[in-house]
Amino acid sequence: MTQSLALDHVTAHYGTTRVLEDLSIRIAAGELVSLLGASGCGKTTTLRLVAGFMTPTEGTIRLGERDLTRLPAHRRDIGLVFQNYALFPHLSVADNVGFGLRQRGVAPDERGRRVAAMLERVGLAALADRYPAALSGGQKQRVALARALVIEPQLLMFDEPLSNLDAKLRVDMRVEIRELQRANGATAVYVTHDQEEAFSISDRVAIMDAGRIVQLDTPETLYQRPNSEFVARFVGFENMIPLAVTRREAGVAIAEGAEGTRLALPEAEFGRVPDRFVLGARPAGLAVTDADAPLGIPATLGLRTYLGRAYQYQCRTPGGALVADGPLDRPLETGQAARLVPLAQQCCILPDAGRR
Amino acid sequence: MRRLTPWLLLAPGLLLVVVVLLAPVLNTGVMPFASGRAASLYQRFFFGSYNQGVILRTLQVASVTTLVSLALGFTAAYVVSRAPAALKSLLIVAAVFPLLTGTVVRSFAWMVILGRNGMANDALLKLGLTSEPVQLLYTQFAVVVGLVYLFTPLMILSLVGVLENIDTDLPRAAASLGAPPRAVFRQVVLPLATPGLIVGSVLVFTGSFTAFATPQLLGGEEQTVLATLLYQKAMVTLDWNGASTIASAMVVMTVIVVLLMNRLARRLNPASV
Amino acid sequence: MAAPRSPLDRTHPGLIAATAVVYLFLLGPLVIVFGAAFSNTTFLAFPPQGLSLRWFENAFANSAFRASFVTSMQVAFGGTGLALLLGVPAAYAMSRYRVQLPKALSVMFVLPILIPEIVAGFSMLRFLQVSLGLPVVAALLLGHALLVLPYTVRVIGASLAAFDFSAEEAAISLGSPPLKTFVTIVLPNIRSGVIAAFVLAFITSLNDVSISVFLTGPGVSTLPIQILSYVEQFFDPTVASVSVLLMVLTVAVMAAVERTLGLTTFTK
Ligand SMILES: Nc1ncnc2c1ncn2[C@@H]1O[C@H](COP(=O)(O)OP(=O)(O)O)[C@@H](O)[C@H]1O
Ligand SMILES: [Mg+2]
Repeated sequence: MTQSLALDHVTAHYGTTRVLEDLSIRIAAGELVSLLGASGCGKTTTLRLVAGFMTPTEGTIRLGERDLTRLPAHRRDIGLVFQNYALFPHLSVADNVGFGLRQRGVAPDERGRRVAAMLERVGLAALADRYPAALSGGQKQRVALARALVIEPQLLMFDEPLSNLDAKLRVDMRVEIRELQRANGATAVYVTHDQEEAFSISDRVAIMDAGRIVQLDTPETLYQRPNSEFVARFVGFENMIPLAVTRREAGVAIAEGAEGTRLALPEAEFGRVPDRFVLGARPAGLAVTDADAPLGIPATLGLRTYLGRAYQYQCRTPGGALVADGPLDRPLETGQAARLVPLAQQCCILPDAGRR
Repeated sequence: MRRLTPWLLLAPGLLLVVVVLLAPVLNTGVMPFASGRAASLYQRFFFGSYNQGVILRTLQVASVTTLVSLALGFTAAYVVSRAPAALKSLLIVAAVFPLLTGTVVRSFAWMVILGRNGMANDALLKLGLTSEPVQLLYTQFAVVVGLVYLFTPLMILSLVGVLENIDTDLPRAAASLGAPPRAVFRQVVLPLATPGLIVGSVLVFTGSFTAFATPQLLGGEEQTVLATLLYQKAMVTLDWNGASTIASAMVVMTVIVVLLMNRLARRLNPASV
Repeated sequence: MAAPRSPLDRTHPGLIAATAVVYLFLLGPLVIVFGAAFSNTTFLAFPPQGLSLRWFENAFANSAFRASFVTSMQVAFGGTGLALLLGVPAAYAMSRYRVQLPKALSVMFVLPILIPEIVAGFSMLRFLQVSLGLPVVAALLLGHALLVLPYTVRVIGASLAAFDFSAEEAAISLGSPPLKTFVTIVLPNIRSGVIAAFVLAFITSLNDVSISVFLTGPGVSTLPIQILSYVEQFFDPTVASVSVLLMVLTVAVMAAVERTLGLTTFTK
């Protein structure tokens, strides 16, 4: 029976250091939510709190109707996949997978059947009698997965489960994890610091920074409409251009920024533009055009690099350095003057976070 | 020349081992045979009723010492390994200090405690458990207490190392799979610590099986063990053939115990293969 | 404001109490020796019925104790020094040339630990003193060097294992001769290992009974052996005060090690 997970106003400390601050999140039954953020932002701590290895200093954790906040770890019924797998080195693959069933008092023959079925599902049937020391990284990962899934937990949690695997295996495994979670129907929390990984397997992604969730949305929304500079940078909006609207006419906002910068932003494409804002732009969102164009950001082109899909230029502008993509058919020279024009598809409008 | 370099560097150390240890011990080993009476010497050693008593006592003392130090050492090591960092280093220092204090001093401490006017008798008298001082010193009890005292710090230190080597995520993984604390200990911590427990036990068993100063001071003549018997034969009665026989037998018995326990350790640790 | 610990990290109070008792057992007797050393009664008793330094005076006045202390120092410094002199090159050869050396070689340097000390001591007496006719002090020195050789080889070997020999090769390729390279490149990197080995070896030698008891002769004794024979004749607190002096020496050494290396050195 799948349950929703709710963290309400959770604060956590290690000793006197606060690592989570007033964190709230609700995850619907059967949903997979990723926690995405740089190392040290509190992702593992969040999992440890939910798993019961740590108690929050404030706030509550609920799984369905049950209050987990003070419940001992062994009574929470959560399947957890550890970053370093945490396989029991003294137990065979089958005994590792059967460990949780044994704790639940499942009779040996039924245990054997369920373990065998699970090993079959993760493709490890042939290795049932091996010990962890004799497994490859990918195989260990599958054992860890099988061990967490076989107890049919109400909640599945993964702590950077793929970070120790090589690139190719990582892509295969994340598809496999997603399929297993879907089939199992369990609610899932997935921790990673890899944006692509998070976006590819999640229903929603929570982006974390310094012990807080800064945005929780679907991958599509996050990718197109980040709500802060922090999130925008995270999803690839490398350029941040502070602007102010000077005129609005016929659904077009005319915005000006650093000396000579003058942009026309059709609200039909860019959405509502506030009076003061920051324009986030991916490199592909700044088109390099002729210097004599009437609108745009005046720039001097610097180093050119070839990316295959485009040429990329390091540009000097009055407002600071920007990165922009130029057309493939017309490579431009270093030192050349140009204008950069924003393309709505690859740009976003961000609130002005108190710049001068 | 280049191939000789390592051997030139090793030669002095090897020479010391050969001349000061290997040759003398082999010489001791062949001595009973050189005397032409090896059969009767070994027969006397293993079947003489006095010697049999000494052998049995030595084995008994070493076994009891091992079991008691294992119990005390494992308990303490478990708590120490889970203590907060500052307390942990303090407790480790407190175990290292006795270890660095010599065996004579440490055995002497128990002479003070167990003597006729010692604290132990004082306590017994005050509690009314006895009306006059009891003989505690020069008993098997005294020898075991002294040896346990000698070897418990060693056991603690080696087991703290073993327990700290267990990945902290393993007990957590077990708990998340539904194992209550007792099961975590029995099914995860204990099996993972077992090879270390055996290694520690081998250290303590061989150490107490061959200990000399402690049985000499706390056991006296009444509680002669193999080591003190060897000393008596060598230095008091000057029965060098007898002493050589005991010495050889001690080496063989020690080696057998070490081999057996190592095999056990390997059997209990399938993960290592 | 510390976070409450989870039940998994909580240790059963019964176990904590048991551990407290174990530590009382470990340290209590040493405290008792301290007390006895400062007592003013002629028999060993604790708690002391009055305080005095007379037993320390007695210990210092005892020429046998003084002489044996000197011998102990000579033997401990000499034996440890010799063991380092032989152990450092051996440990170096074994980690530098590991691949081309037989695996069983390391067993040779474990033998002094494997063979019961009491057997080694007896055999040395017969071989070194009786058969080869070595004088007492020479035999003691060799015996102690052998006793502590495994510590030097093992501890220094452990720090060499962490040393990257390519640094040495780099120095040699830059024109530094091998011996000089060892002194200027390798030695500074294993300095803490050498110090740790020295301390462990020194204390082991200083405390040795089983080998010394055979090798000491009339008139030449080490301190532990002198204590042993004193205790067998007299049962007064002199030995307690000698023990206290030895413990103070041990504490001083531990403090010095703690200063330079940290105490985890002893648990390795
Ligand atoms: N056991 C601990 N004791 C003290 N601080 C810790 C401990 N574990 C983690 N931290 C700190 O808490 C913060 C969050 O850590 P963590 O949740 O592990 O981050 P993440 O998993 O996102 O990399 C980090 O700054 C880290 O240094
Ligand atoms: Mg983490």
